[in-house]
Amino acid sequence: MTREVREVVRDEPLVRRRLLQLLEAGPLTVPELAAASGHPADEVVIWVMGMRKYGDVTVGEPTPEGYFSYAVAKR
Amino acid sequence: MTDYDVLVLGSGIGGMESALKLGDMGYRVLVVESEPSIGGKMILLSKVFPTLDCASCISTPKMAATAHHPNVSVLTDARLERVVRMTDGGFSATIHQTPRYVDVAACTACRQCELACTVAVPDQYNGELVSRRAAYLPFPQALPQKALIERAGTSPCTFACPAGIKAHGYVSLVRSGEYDKAFALVSETTPLVGSLGRACYAPCEAACTRGALEGPLAIRRLKRFVADVHYGSDGNHEAPARPEPSGKRVAIVGSGPAGVTAAWQLARAGHAVRIFEAAPVAGGAMRLSIPSYRLPVATVERDLANLAELGVEIETGHLVRDLAELRAGGFDAVLVATGTPLAARLGVAGEDLDGVRSALGLLRDLKLGAPVDLTDRTVAVIGGGNVAIDAARSAARLGARSVHLVCLEQREHMPAHAFEVEEALAEGIELHDGWGIADLSGSDAVASVGLKACTAVFDADGRFAPTYDDRRRAELGADVVLVAIGMEVDTAAFPSLAPAGSRRLRADPATFRTAEEGVFAAGDAVSGPSTIAQAVGAGRDAAHMIDRYLSGKDLAGLEVPLPVVSHDAVLARQRAYTRREAFVHRPVLSPAPRGFAELEGPLSEDEALAAAGRCLDCGVCSECHECVAACPADAIHLEMRPEDHTVRAGAVIVSTGYRLFDADLKPQYGYGRFKNVVTGTQMERLLAPTRPYHGVLRPGDGKVPEKIAYVMCTGSRDETVNNPMCSKFCCMYSLKQNQLILGALPLADVTVHYIDIRAAGKGYDEFFEQAKAMGTTFIKGRVAEINELENGDLMLSYEDIAHGGVRVAEYDLVVLAVGVQPSPGIARLFEDGLELDPQGFVLEVSEDDHPAATSIPGVFAAGAVTGPRDIPESILHAGAAAVQAAAYLQSTRVPA
Repeated sequence: MTREVREVVRDEPLVRRRLLQLLEAGPLTVPELAAASGHPADEVVIWVMGMRKYGDVTVGEPTPEGYFSYAVAKR
Repeated sequence: MTDYDVLVLGSGIGGMESALKLGDMGYRVLVVESEPSIGGKMILLSKVFPTLDCASCISTPKMAATAHHPNVSVLTDARLERVVRMTDGGFSATIHQTPRYVDVAACTACRQCELACTVAVPDQYNGELVSRRAAYLPFPQALPQKALIERAGTSPCTFACPAGIKAHGYVSLVRSGEYDKAFALVSETTPLVGSLGRACYAPCEAACTRGALEGPLAIRRLKRFVADVHYGSDGNHEAPARPEPSGKRVAIVGSGPAGVTAAWQLARAGHAVRIFEAAPVAGGAMRLSIPSYRLPVATVERDLANLAELGVEIETGHLVRDLAELRAGGFDAVLVATGTPLAARLGVAGEDLDGVRSALGLLRDLKLGAPVDLTDRTVAVIGGGNVAIDAARSAARLGARSVHLVCLEQREHMPAHAFEVEEALAEGIELHDGWGIADLSGSDAVASVGLKACTAVFDADGRFAPTYDDRRRAELGADVVLVAIGMEVDTAAFPSLAPAGSRRLRADPATFRTAEEGVFAAGDAVSGPSTIAQAVGAGRDAAHMIDRYLSGKDLAGLEVPLPVVSHDAVLARQRAYTRREAFVHRPVLSPAPRGFAELEGPLSEDEALAAAGRCLDCGVCSECHECVAACPADAIHLEMRPEDHTVRAGAVIVSTGYRLFDADLKPQYGYGRFKNVVTGTQMERLLAPTRPYHGVLRPGDGKVPEKIAYVMCTGSRDETVNNPMCSKFCCMYSLKQNQLILGALPLADVTVHYIDIRAAGKGYDEFFEQAKAMGTTFIKGRVAEINELENGDLMLSYEDIAHGGVRVAEYDLVVLAVGVQPSPGIARLFEDGLELDPQGFVLEVSEDDHPAATSIPGVFAAGAVTGPRDIPESILHAGAAAVQAAAYLQSTRVPA
């Protein structure tokens, strides 16, 4: 079932640490993060874009399949 | 005399244009904007058609000119409530000003508050494609470029806490993994974090909005969790910094929750505090009467150790009887917080027999380690409150053969909390509800309890006045009787504070002052028996007043919370809620309990995160105070409150624009269900320089789309959604987006499914041709429905008029070119009633010869509030409205 945006966004502080832990091992695309974390890809997009907005992740190069990879931002 | 010549409602491109033109003419203008920034919708666009000029580059100079024009004043975050036309032809307007909770003069827009904020909400300025924070700057070009904090009110959990602890705040900190900060937030109120985490009756949970779904959050246990984590890492964190000494000394009599909390607050304010406690140990009821299976001694002692870190001294075994002597001893103020140490007596025959004692006395002996043995005794506990339950369950643990609980009330009306009664029954306590005590009997020691049926506990006025049916009697054999029918204040200890006959100490309920200069009283000694949280709240507030007394300030200034947010208002924010099970982890109870080991286990970190993750952020801002701590300019002021004020103006211009069609009202297109179906507004944001993503990506999986379809006339020219009107500029903004997409994604295929392309404007048809030349494909015909494939791609079923038949095509991303609708709620603002056209837009009563004139003389409409208008048209129309308003002002002026 698709969750409403407000509900997904509300979870961002809750999942942020987990996603950053997964990215510590190396850059991942959204589908890879979704598979690793067990969350739907559309929810991961919202969270990763929020983390990008607030400086937690950086954007890498696109893959041949058309997905960008994301890495933990160095502060 | 008016305050302003013209009141302009709305600060989109139309409102700004009218305001600037009138300002340039020398009129005094007030712009009222409900959003936190001026600029309306245009500032959020990528580019404008047909020139493809940067929208921001056109908008931001207008915004700056509006904000800084000497004749134009701007109120953002302001909602017009009512406009009344006066007899002189002018207007009186009531405006509701929502605070930003930020001192805009001090704010430097550094975003530290936003980065620290623990609450994430959808970013409405980015099409809800990404999050923002409750503390935020709206968007990069916002004007004023100042932060604000979104507050819907006080969250019910926080509002319900009698201690004033920011429950929502520490829940949101736990959710963010900030456990020590959560501990620190609770510590802003009281040092009793661990004790409250175990023994509080959690009114916060009773108020929790999530209780209306699957059950409330385990808020109390989250407090215990942060205490467990914090105390578990003792030695790893620094002692709190001691404040600058004030040079003042405060004596506190009593070390219960009120006294300890007051001491904590006063020490944090820099005062030297000494607590005098008559008992051999500190902690009051927490340490002396709550059984260890509920509240371990070590927890209370660890909480009390926090006081020592701030330099608070506790002198136990010191019975204070002479307050004047204390004052004479160098204390600048005294707080009496001695609680309710005395047990009420039954007043029946046999009460002084051996084996009869107060429940409080038994509990106190237990907590002090005195030998107490009830092995094989038959125990009767008299009373229906929490102390009775504590005594009964303690008796069971002490080996009693049987424990009987006798109370006046029927079970459902017992003062004890229902869950405690349930737990007592599960531990084998036998309940005798609805019985009063006739007498106690026995030869040398008590052997029997005479019972009489209680017919009513309270009289018609709700006063305690039990009545009995003397014909219904019973006998209960018992060789130990524990009396727990009430706790009383030791008024005899402080006769100067307790008027004759009073059962409590007397203090001003607002200031906590007593009749003696410099002596304050608070907590149960004043209020009578309450809860730990209530006593904590009283201690905190009393300390606030004592601090002001010592500083020579008036005794006022207690925090007044924002009104509580209603459950309905919170739940209405979403159409559906995913089920998230309440964390229910009741202690395992034995019918024959032994020992006083703590019953309730700790939460694991995963359990705590799962519990905190259920929070609905009712108040939006959680009051975690992270923004306050992060702001380098001390600009955050959560104590700000809304204000209503009235202004007078000579004329009014309404320029509140339009709203977009709600795309999920066309369910066959799947908006809201299919993640790769977006609206034209969302695509606008994806294309804008200040976009939510780092490019044009699919919201469903972050993929760069290769095949993009536009569905024109979504919600316009459509009788099925009761909107037969053409929205006029959707064709043009879609053509603009087509070209921008092809610029950003040169390999993409863009297809437009349309009914007609309406490109009637200077350079518009050429713009259409340009889109075709760049490679956009145009298919004439309606789209019937959209279906989603497993990989997120979308199958469009559409009519192809040019080639005939219904066809199906697959796309990566679908953009719905949504139409416009009237801005709601305008007409009701005007007492005289503002006429609307059949679609609901503001009616121009004589559009051909008096454009912008409405049905109310002196009220004019500018821009898309009168119907769909693109940007150039809106600007032209706003100019007309300004001229009309100027002419009206001249016509109503009384000649000098």
